[in-house]
Amino acid sequence: MASQAAKPKVLCIGHINFAEKEWQSLKDVAELVVVQSNNRKKFLAEAKSGAFDGAVAAFRSFTSASITGHFDSEILSALPSTFHFLCQNGAGYDPIDVSACTEAEVRVCNVPKIADDATGDTAMFLMLGALRLFNPMLVSLREGDFKGSSPKLGNDPRGKKLGILGMGGIGRNIASKSKAFGMEIQYYNRKPLSEELSGGATYVSFDELLATSDILSLNLPLNKNTRHIISTAEFEKMKPGIVVINTSRGPVMDEAALVVALDEGKVRSAGMDVFEEEPKIHPGLVSNRVVILLPHVGTQTLETQKAMEVFTIENVRRAVVEGRLEGLVPEQAGKGWD
Amino acid sequence: MGSITDKAILKIGKLTYTEKNWEALGSLGDLKVFPGDKEVSDPKQLFQENLQSGAYDHVVALYRSNDSTSLTGPFDAELIRSLPSSLKYICHNGAGYDNIDITACTSRGIEVSSTPVAVNNATADMTIWLMIGALRSIHVPYAAVREGKWRGPHFMPGTDPEDKVLGMIGMGGIGQAVAHRARAFGMKIQYYNRSRLSPELEKDAKYVGLDELIGSSDVVSLHCSLTAETTGLIGKTELGQMKKGAVLINTARGKLIDEGALIEALKDGTLRAAGLDVFENEPELRSDLVDLPNVVLTPHIGTGTTDTQAKMELLVLDNIKSALESGKLITQVREQLSKPKL
Repeated sequence: MASQAAKPKVLCIGHINFAEKEWQSLKDVAELVVVQSNNRKKFLAEAKSGAFDGAVAAFRSFTSASITGHFDSEILSALPSTFHFLCQNGAGYDPIDVSACTEAEVRVCNVPKIADDATGDTAMFLMLGALRLFNPMLVSLREGDFKGSSPKLGNDPRGKKLGILGMGGIGRNIASKSKAFGMEIQYYNRKPLSEELSGGATYVSFDELLATSDILSLNLPLNKNTRHIISTAEFEKMKPGIVVINTSRGPVMDEAALVVALDEGKVRSAGMDVFEEEPKIHPGLVSNRVVILLPHVGTQTLETQKAMEVFTIENVRRAVVEGRLEGLVPEQAGKGWD
Repeated sequence: MGSITDKAILKIGKLTYTEKNWEALGSLGDLKVFPGDKEVSDPKQLFQENLQSGAYDHVVALYRSNDSTSLTGPFDAELIRSLPSSLKYICHNGAGYDNIDITACTSRGIEVSSTPVAVNNATADMTIWLMIGALRSIHVPYAAVREGKWRGPHFMPGTDPEDKVLGMIGMGGIGQAVAHRARAFGMKIQYYNRSRLSPELEKDAKYVGLDELIGSSDVVSLHCSLTAETTGLIGKTELGQMKKGAVLINTARGKLIDEGALIEALKDGTLRAAGLDVFENEPELRSDLVDLPNVVLTPHIGTGTTDTQAKMELLVLDNIKSALESGKLITQVREQLSKPKL
């Protein structure tokens, strides 16, 4: 780009916590604009004021949903016609209306791969904790009662069938780690994977996954097809005593139905990192002694958080300099944009 | 009751899963149970009284466990002296047997068995869970979310296990099972052990000296037995030699670590966090340990699953059966195997 011409703008919607240096280094190719608004109304006004004119790309953090709300056609219309690249800092991108973006010729990328290990580790922590019924023991220890009066013993993972719903990068990461604990892996996915990619896991139908898994791990994206994909009818099909793990998105599972299934003893225990209305959690889960609950810490390590931000900022640079993105979301494949 | 025989078998404590297998031993000897179904206010005294009264005079083999230590007191030299002269076999439920004086047993001609292997997977699973929890500094968000505070005001991100160095002190069955799992998390393994493992068992793990292990590991995990030599293995000096921000995991025995020194190291940031399933004076816990925000603590439940507990009980009963039928234990403790047959 000619150094004499005005540099294009790039927007930061939300927060950059670990890669401020990398963000600042974009100055050699772009003018940096940090969105000042903290709600949707103010965002639309800020856009209207011309503050974003000339912006071609944006870094969008997970927390920015509280700024823009759903990233839909109204938001897209407020952005300048120069805007063509939306870089989501996260594996999930459910707050973005991808079809509206496609219509507006805005390319969307997320962060594939980098989030896999940390999310997989979180899932393993939840899975082992739920299967082994650790929570009551942690509580009784801290209440000064060591093991408590009649500790309920948990189960070993060895020989258990782990069913993975959604065999993307994170699902495969969990499969590979679970094998080291002696678990058998089966999965349901939009389409079956090659033997090499699935690590020898068995591809089964959705119903068979529900009916035959001892442990069920939810690892699918949230969209209009997957909302409440696990609800009352699905719990009815599951094996009694199943353990359910969710590190994907809360609304993929009907939280109230989970509470019923737990209370009825159908679901022995659950490990949850995500909830339908974070940070609110169904009181039936909070008061349940055996479930393992975490406050959406799936990728919360220094290394992974920084690597995600750096990847996304590099995509912002790539958008400005090359006019393309890496990690284009699958919904936009085949448009010649990758 | 039992068959007419001059042999008796004593069960100290309870069996949860293998009562039928215990009953079946009745064909090999008179079955005796301590303390039985009675609620006893001073079981240690009652045990001594039973010994002195001759109630156990024909006992050839006995079943005990780590838990049963609270009923009889530890099997130290004094208690072993008071055991009946008929006793030939102590069959112990537990992989660790630091509450039995093996030397005193050997001197008296008593053979001792433990329960190795059966404990490996469950203990390794526990170790990995504590390790992830410690690396991820999980206690703060774990506690906050249950208090309705979501992540709470003091939340900090943790660190990934991937590409970190895991140093195992002790690479027996449990250590090898932990290494197998840790590899799946992308960790590099190094170990210190009394002797180097064969290439098949060692795989890609690096055999190093203890000082090198302590100084270069991101996670140090203890998997050695508690002996006079290993008591206080990790003290102030060793903690000071560890990498700053390292993590310490202990699922072996509490007394391997100087707990006071550990607390200081956790407070001043020498260590990032610790994951502990065992404690110096369990079931008593130091409140200044429990109150730390950077510890993950479980109450010695490393083998606390139905399947593993059942396997352990069965292995002990099988040891008793084998001893009475053939004069040989299945899993005799290693300290006695190097000695000439009694």
